Amino acid sequence: MNYWKQILLPLAFWLTGSVVDCLGLPPVSAQPPEPDVTAPSQQAGPDIPHGLSIRPMSGGPILPAPTVSTNVTTTISGLIVRTTVSQTFHNPSSEWAEGIYVFPLPDQAAVDHLRMRIGERVIEGIIQERGEAKNTFEQAKRKGQRASLLEQERSNVFTASVANLAPGEPIIVEIEYQDTVRYDQGRFSLRFPTVVGPRYIPGTPLSMVEAQPQSTGVGWAVNTNQVPDASRITPPVQHPGEGPINPLTLQIDLAPGFLLDRVESPTHPIQVDTHSNGRTHITLADPSTFADRDFELAWTPQASHEAQTQLFLEEHGGDTYGLLLFLPPQLIETGPGDIPREVIFVIDTSGSMAGASLVQAKAALKLAVSRLTPTDRFNIIQFNSITKQLFPLAVPAGTRSIQRALTHVNNLHAEGGTEMLPAVVQALSHQKEEQFSLRQVIFITDGLIGNEEEFFATLHRLLGQTRLFTVGIGSAPNGHFMRKAAQHGRGTFTYIGTTQEVQDKMHRLFVKLEQPAFLNLALEGSPDSAWDLLPVPLPDVYAGEPLMAAFRTTTTPAHLTISGTHGTVPWKRVLPFAAGLSRSGITVHWARQKISQLMDQQDSSAQPGQSDQQTELRQAVIDVAIKHHLVSRYTSLVAVETTPARPEHRPLHSHAMKTNLPHGMQYEAIFGWPQTATPSTLYLLLGIFMVWIGWVGTRQQAARM
Amino acid sequence: MGWDATTSRTDVTPRMARMLAGLLLVLGSWFIGQGLWIPVKAIAAQWLLQHAWTQTLKTQQPAKPWPWADTWPVGRLLVPRHGIDQIILADTSGQSLAFGPGKLSGRMKPGKPGGILLSGHRETHFQFLQFLQENDRIDLEWPTGGRTSYTVQRLTVVDSRHTHLRRHSNDEALILTTCYPFDAIVPGGPLRYVVRAEKF
Repeated sequence: MNYWKQILLPLAFWLTGSVVDCLGLPPVSAQPPEPDVTAPSQQAGPDIPHGLSIRPMSGGPILPAPTVSTNVTTTISGLIVRTTVSQTFHNPSSEWAEGIYVFPLPDQAAVDHLRMRIGERVIEGIIQERGEAKNTFEQAKRKGQRASLLEQERSNVFTASVANLAPGEPIIVEIEYQDTVRYDQGRFSLRFPTVVGPRYIPGTPLSMVEAQPQSTGVGWAVNTNQVPDASRITPPVQHPGEGPINPLTLQIDLAPGFLLDRVESPTHPIQVDTHSNGRTHITLADPSTFADRDFELAWTPQASHEAQTQLFLEEHGGDTYGLLLFLPPQLIETGPGDIPREVIFVIDTSGSMAGASLVQAKAALKLAVSRLTPTDRFNIIQFNSITKQLFPLAVPAGTRSIQRALTHVNNLHAEGGTEMLPAVVQALSHQKEEQFSLRQVIFITDGLIGNEEEFFATLHRLLGQTRLFTVGIGSAPNGHFMRKAAQHGRGTFTYIGTTQEVQDKMHRLFVKLEQPAFLNLALEGSPDSAWDLLPVPLPDVYAGEPLMAAFRTTTTPAHLTISGTHGTVPWKRVLPFAAGLSRSGITVHWARQKISQLMDQQDSSAQPGQSDQQTELRQAVIDVAIKHHLVSRYTSLVAVETTPARPEHRPLHSHAMKTNLPHGMQYEAIFGWPQTATPSTLYLLLGIFMVWIGWVGTRQQAARM
Repeated sequence: MGWDATTSRTDVTPRMARMLAGLLLVLGSWFIGQGLWIPVKAIAAQWLLQHAWTQTLKTQQPAKPWPWADTWPVGRLLVPRHGIDQIILADTSGQSLAFGPGKLSGRMKPGKPGGILLSGHRETHFQFLQFLQENDRIDLEWPTGGRTSYTVQRLTVVDSRHTHLRRHSNDEALILTTCYPFDAIVPGGPLRYVVRAEKF
């Protein structure tokens, strides 16, 4: 069947192409595009964002939109990363413009500086409460002053607005943040996202009455009851056929603090220059790189320099802040099958997974299923608009069930929405604790949804004794989703960005799934109440991972006591406080962790009747953020030039900056229309044509005999 | 026995031609079968779906039309003037559209805001879209048994490459789409026929 399709379909297309020409059917391009046909006839004006169910992707003013190019400069000193992201906004039109750019940053980024550069002039941004900052910006915008505003939509999604871009004159917006590197199984790594992947927005649209004015954005989605700020996290996407936009350059200065064995990037070709002073300089090898996928850098120490316990301290405002990286002692070793497990695989087969992502997801899933032993039980759940599971209940991983599962996985294809809640509910039902000591959910997805908080809350509520592990797939997965889902699921997260990575990354995950975890971790410092430890509670730690904890204290303790259990074996270690090294950036790290924790608390108390607590937590976030000059969900950075630039009589045109479709994704599978044509006419015509030729041929043969 | 050009031509060519002709006959019949199977399946599936819909109305639960089905009925589409009575399926995947018109993912509840978007194949279920005229009445039957009436307001052709299909809408319109032109032979073209109907 497939074989014939390969040969005959091209032939058929050629044949019918000529038939179409003969019939004089209109060529497709001759149809004038008439985009907003489904707009309610009584509602005029294309600027009303709701009320349309079909809306032009392009349209509105014909003026060329501003462009943005990004330069990233990063310094890595041990565990601490400092990055400056410079976005150059350029206005190619002859009118004054505002650019609104929705872009990602690492999900743990502590953004503490915004600078606006106009030629030689530099204007430093100040931190304000979000509403206040917005007002500052809007006022300046109206008065014609050049201004920039940086707002946070999600831990990893930000909006930069730049107003009063003069025709032909660039404005550079510099955003500075701090982050920490990840250490896992002997490998250090750093991820830098460059594009916000298209999110699926579930729910019913909010009416004009319900909509919050501050949640109104420029995105392609309308705000819904499940995602009230959907229009702020869905930047318009350029059709890949129109070519890439948003060029990217990158420089990394790496001072790892040990002798390097290897430096590599699984996502981009890089150029590595090692200097005699122990620093390594990394740049992108390809000069024409665009913001269409995450950048990842990974480095490993030489064997004699394996990572060990590290304690860093910083004095700030009379307090001592600390950052601890601690590798728990390995006391038990087990192999596959030693601990019977029930494993539930959940695979995302929504439209955003179509293409390269599904290939990677399938490869990862097949590897994991083949790895199961007969003592394990398993099931596979797939979800897009609807959720389906392979077996009604988890089955023993025998040869036949594994074979059936592998065939099932091979036949999966990706299309439709990302209704993730029913899938996680199904994965967490039917828990049988007495039978299995370990129940694990492996969640394979790109995490591209808009209702993350709702997902985390559901996960938190239903988790029970199950542990959830995320496997982030594709070129631009939602990093905030991967980390937080794993945190609420008390598991860990893994990224797979290319098919070549599947083998290595999945084996690293298997080690964690098959070895007992480090549980009940505790870190004790000073006995007084001023001991403020983060995260709360400390997470479970898996084989090869360190415990990363931040703390604040007013009194200096003599020791830090770390305890926990490995499997069932308890252990305890004492670390002299004096072993701590003085480093800068530890305070900022603590403050960012504190905001994270407060936001988590707010998510889990997001129920009606808890509004007092919500307001309290909101104020707590603002206090920490303002004190440490950090951008948060409730605080923004704003920079305003004092003298107006735009003449009063010239209008200002606002533009939503377009983004690329993440590499490997299929535009039609996400934004496309359902395929509403069948090949029935084609098959019939082709069949009749062939039968006719065949019949004539047979007749001629018969006549000749 | 000398081989010459004439003998070889008369000897080999007829057999090859016969084989080729036979092959074309078999293949052609297979294609005709495939071409006919699509509309036959589309009609037969609707019979089974009508039964499943009766179940749904009775039990208020999604009922699968056949045990291995990936989809289920979510509503019924009635166009009295054209004698249309079709069962609407839960999604718009290729497999579902073979059996009936599909509703684009999202919610479909009476009394809730949000438009409804239905898609169907131009060769089968939604062939009738070309005969719809302004002010034609369209009825939707819900799983609760209630009905909503719409009247056709606008009929248009859009280019799917330049028009973005949004999954939600604030107005309560009913939108029907299918591929365009209706008499095109090759599937996969970029044009769509869009019918917009508003509440009666």
